[in-house]
Amino acid sequence: MLDKIIEGIYRGDHRSISRAISIVENEGDSENTRNLIRQIYQRTGNAHIVGITGPPGIGKSTMIGNICALLSERGKKVSVVAIDASSPFTGGSLLGNRIRMQESLTKYGVYMRSLANRGINGGLSRSIWDTVKILDAAGSDFIIVETVGAGQADLDVINLADTVIVVLGPGLGDEIQAIKAGIMEIGHVFVINKMDRQGAYIAMKDIEETLAMMPRGEWKPPVVGINSLTREGYDTLIESICKHRSFCETNREARLRKFRTELQMHIDDELRRKFQKDINGVLKDEGRLEEYLLRRIDPYSAAEEIVEEIA
Amino acid sequence: MSEERSSEHGKNQLSFKDRPIKILLAKPGIDGHDRGILVLAKAFRDAGMEVIYAGLLPTPEQVVETAINEDVDVVALSLLNGAHMTVFKKVADLMKERGVNDIAIVGGGTIPDADKPKLEKLGISGNYGPGTPISVIIDHVTKRAMEARKLKESGQ
Ligand code: B12
Ligand SMILES: Nc1nc2c(ncn2[C@@H]2O[C@H](COP(=O)(O)OP(=O)(O)O)[C@@H](O)[C@H]2O)c(=O)[nH]1
Ligand SMILES: [Mg+2]
Repeated sequence: MLDKIIEGIYRGDHRSISRAISIVENEGDSENTRNLIRQIYQRTGNAHIVGITGPPGIGKSTMIGNICALLSERGKKVSVVAIDASSPFTGGSLLGNRIRMQESLTKYGVYMRSLANRGINGGLSRSIWDTVKILDAAGSDFIIVETVGAGQADLDVINLADTVIVVLGPGLGDEIQAIKAGIMEIGHVFVINKMDRQGAYIAMKDIEETLAMMPRGEWKPPVVGINSLTREGYDTLIESICKHRSFCETNREARLRKFRTELQMHIDDELRRKFQKDINGVLKDEGRLEEYLLRRIDPYSAAEEIVEEIA
Repeated sequence: MSEERSSEHGKNQLSFKDRPIKILLAKPGIDGHDRGILVLAKAFRDAGMEVIYAGLLPTPEQVVETAINEDVDVVALSLLNGAHMTVFKKVADLMKERGVNDIAIVGGGTIPDADKPKLEKLGISGNYGPGTPISVIIDHVTKRAMEARKLKESGQ
């Protein structure tokens, strides 16, 4: 059955793509997921991954709808994944990003998938890494990923995306200072959305000045003002994305860093899997816990001892 | 999600053991009565489901395409304007045309009793109206979602 799904992915068939994403989303790193990724991996690496982050309500989803339209009109194949937060109490989630971009999705036949973060911190979901590979193998030129939008804590996207767009706007008040503390380092392109609103130019200046004070790498992040209701400023935005894409193609170090991060994640998992059974055994060993209760051993020493034992 | 992985770093440990039900809520057809569907969206979320609301005025084609792209377990259709016999049927027909048999369709709104068996025959179940306790609706949706899951697993 996996073969049929994979063949469908290569054809760009939405239903097959969908099924494949469900596998990686729901089965974690099961044998099925591994086989799928093993088989399609050769066919990935062509898509440019654009991560979009910024506070809730700033217009990320609306902007993605517009970007989809403009890139599609230039003959590019675009796919979208948007992530929302799950409730830590019920596990439920309202996946509200699609509704803002539906018009473009329908008009250009763009594949879009909403994912809940299912308790993962950092602005992404656990399955996003594999999800992006599926969309890549399906022939996407651009894959746009909208993060949860949790501001400062929303930084993992830098490890996933080739180009990170940070979206800000007027009316954020003091919040903007807090957001800036975490987010200025990860943006390749800064967007000020809602240029139709009062305070937009001040916000733009604020970001430009902050950037000017930061140490400069080879890439100088542009600050682009847009109005998502009229698409003013979008030509510059698309041009900035394409410029950064060209820049990335020569940037071997960035690609290696991404791979390193992903590899580290998988190694952590493999290690945990390998030893989890033994660890669970130790955690259930009441005799051992007793030692701890009697203050005969401190947790650092206990952990060192246990790891020595099972490794 | 298995118990073993719940201690993963950066992962909230409270829930997420099971795979949540994924549901698409839609009002296909010209009908501005969105209070009911918004109430349901929140109730489903609070019951632990992953909920997508398609907004006002999606076409039946959009509803089906979205259901496929999002790989939902259930599509919930709501109409209070009396157009359910044509519009709900259109959604069911399009699903069949696309070869999708593993996404359940449930309906609701103002649906006369006489229409309910006809909708059932098209595979559209529930068809609950005003005053139905939310718990009845959630139980029904959960039951249909589990049926759809079984079909997905056997088809995959
Ligand atoms: C409030 C209301 C309005 C509000 C709507 C506000 C809004 N944003 O929703 C306003 C004033 C705008 C309005 C306008 C109209 N309305 Co009006 N409206 C109502 C009224 C009084 C209550 C609807 C409501 O919100 N109920 C509360 C919610 C929470 O309940 P609910 O929607 O029924 O949903 C529950 C269940 O039905 C069920 N359910 C609903 N959907 C689904 C889906 C699934 C999958 C499941 C499982 C369950 C389920 O679960 C929900 C939660 O318990 C009803 C009469 C009535 N008592 O139903 C008329 C009614 C629906 N309206 C009617 C009409 C005719 C209109 C108008 C055309 C003109 C008019 N005569 O007023 C316009 C058209 C508007 C438009 N653009 O479509 C008629 C429809 C007649 C028909 N079906 O043939 C009704 C039945 C009144 C009547 N007896 O004539 N209306
Ligand atoms: N005035 C104005 N409103 C906008 C603009 N872009 C988006 N919005 C509105 O901002 C709200 C939030 O947009 P959304 O895309 O959902 O934001 P997100 O939470 O960042 O994804 C919506 O009501 C949009 O219509 C803009 O450029 N100008
Ligand atoms: Mg959004």
